Amino acid sequence: MKNPKVKLLFLLFTSAVILAVGPAWANTVKVGVVGPRTGGAAATGQAFDEGIKLAINYINNKGGVLGKKLEVVFEDTAGAPDKAASGFERLVTRDKVVMVVGESHSSAALAEIEVANRMKVPFIVAEAWADPITAKNYEYVFRAGPSNSGVVNETIAKWVAHAGFKKAYIVAENSDWGLGIAELTEKALIALGVKYEKLTTERKSQDHYTELTKIKEFAPEVILAYVYGDGLHFFVAQAGELKVSPRAVILDGAGPPSLWPDFWKNVGEYGNLETFVSSMHEKVELTPLAAEFRTMYEKEFGKSPTDYKSRSIFDAILIAADAVKRAGCTDADSLVKALKKTELEGTRGIIKFGTTPGGPEYHQWMPPMLIIQWQDRNQVVIYPPKAATGTLKR
Amino acid sequence: MSYKRFYVILFLASGLFCLLPLVLDLYRLHVVIVSLFYVMMAASWNLIAGYTGQVSFAHAAFAGIGAYTSGILTVKAGMTSWLGVATGTLTAGVTGLGVGFLCLRMGGIYLSLTTLGFSEILRIIITNEYDITRGTMGLQIPPMIAPYSKAVHFFILLAGTLLTLIVVYKIIHSNMGLNFRAVQNDERAARSLGVNVIRVRVLAFAVSSALAGLAGAIYGHYLMLITPEIPSLDLQFFVLSMAVIGGLGSFAGPIIGSFALTILSEYIRAYGEYHVLVFGLVALAMARFAPQGIMGLARQFMPASGVRQ
Repeated sequence: MKNPKVKLLFLLFTSAVILAVGPAWANTVKVGVVGPRTGGAAATGQAFDEGIKLAINYINNKGGVLGKKLEVVFEDTAGAPDKAASGFERLVTRDKVVMVVGESHSSAALAEIEVANRMKVPFIVAEAWADPITAKNYEYVFRAGPSNSGVVNETIAKWVAHAGFKKAYIVAENSDWGLGIAELTEKALIALGVKYEKLTTERKSQDHYTELTKIKEFAPEVILAYVYGDGLHFFVAQAGELKVSPRAVILDGAGPPSLWPDFWKNVGEYGNLETFVSSMHEKVELTPLAAEFRTMYEKEFGKSPTDYKSRSIFDAILIAADAVKRAGCTDADSLVKALKKTELEGTRGIIKFGTTPGGPEYHQWMPPMLIIQWQDRNQVVIYPPKAATGTLKR
Repeated sequence: MSYKRFYVILFLASGLFCLLPLVLDLYRLHVVIVSLFYVMMAASWNLIAGYTGQVSFAHAAFAGIGAYTSGILTVKAGMTSWLGVATGTLTAGVTGLGVGFLCLRMGGIYLSLTTLGFSEILRIIITNEYDITRGTMGLQIPPMIAPYSKAVHFFILLAGTLLTLIVVYKIIHSNMGLNFRAVQNDERAARSLGVNVIRVRVLAFAVSSALAGLAGAIYGHYLMLITPEIPSLDLQFFVLSMAVIGGLGSFAGPIIGSFALTILSEYIRAYGEYHVLVFGLVALAMARFAPQGIMGLARQFMPASGVRQ
């Protein structure tokens, strides 16, 4: 092989073969995780990575599952349905995972549940809220996280009534989550007799000035912003710039974008008095495991946990490991049976899936949700009243 | 290569491919299916770029037209997938004819810019008309044959690939193919010899667009989900890389390039965002060491083996 070109081709070929056969000798139980590591919600992927690391350590330090170590294989879906469907399939066919957990984009999850159902692989959705995900009542699909109807009917609508808002504006991104939650909110506002207007915005838009001018004309008291990812930061900053807020209170209807590390950098002081939905508060722990999670998190990462999605994925992996242990095998149907009987302490409460078919509650566990307001960069719980640590400031 | 030799090779290769569903697991079969889609795309793009010298950036857009036409007709109008694919192919071909008629007089960089603009306009329409297309949420569509089977879709894509390769081969070895070459080599000389340059270009563009539409439509039904990723520039540049790395202007180049790059991208996918970097390095290495692609390398190493343009 004196010719350098032949050498180069040989090297490329050898590398490919080594990469292909590398993981073959591993003796582990594999669980797949799907989520966005790239794209506008890449911060969720980081939160997922943190939760995964803690969950693996937590489970393997306690002996693993079925006498083997638990291994997690991550597939980046970038929040795109096509990447999500092919990534899910790759986890099943290439990596031979026994179960898949995760996802935080409804459109991606809706593509994934079709693959899960077709390939008969249990799938626990962590943070994709669109109702049809569980309303389709697929036998292999579970959700250990909020649903749009749960968040709207149990938290957002009740908060709007509690705060006494009379005029609201719904801003929804054109995704399954955004359009779905906006439709449910509309129904709830009509039932409450709240005057409202609604507009839809492009999911990846960074320019909301036109929409905000329309909103300003309507002069709402509250803006229910269903925009996920960096787009929410642009929306909050531009609303502050046009003085739409704080005259109108902005509610981030998803939550995590208001907790991402670059939130304050992107929105500056316009972030003050912004409100958001969350399943955790920086200083309140709902279960003993949540306190343990905080200790582990601080030890591992040298900072406090902020994005609640690290807890969501931690819980989802714990549920998966618990189901494998109770099933005593990795057979898909046995795992589904075990998942149906789940009763497990997570970081957000006792997890138990709904078993009544017909609606989105089937195979669904809804964690308690809070409404929190940033007040001088401190998180203040303003709803529900029994958990409130302060009152709404305007 | 004579027609007889071409068909013998095609027949033998197809026979070997037919055995793949028996020996490959579902993941590897998926990789082969994706490769076949890219063979259809790269081979048909090569027809205009490699044989007439017209660099179009709208090839993925035509695949998108095929995929969305078929998908929307099957989901909203209850049409069968087969009829949807046929309509999608026809729509892509007719649109290609229209776009070709409007912009192929320009040629060169102007053609590239116009097709780039057309591609972006189409993507924006698909993304924003989400009431019909579901935009970035993706449109879920039925498979070609229900219940879904990977093996069945493999054979359908294999048939589509064979059809594409036969059409491309027949065209480039006909009088029309000679005209293509003449236009590519010296447009003025070709015109002076009586070749209707515009007609040749438009014809190549329309056939190539129809074949891209066919590829997109079948691929959409295989995935059972279509998104604006199909008519995206990302996919366009991926197809372009396959044809260039395989060997632009050679019949086998795009086939080899499609398989090589699809398999490579699967291996380097594990490295997350770094896989784009690795991909770029491979493309740079090819540009440095083998500017004529893998087929150029083959010609260099095996000059006596009959590897030709």
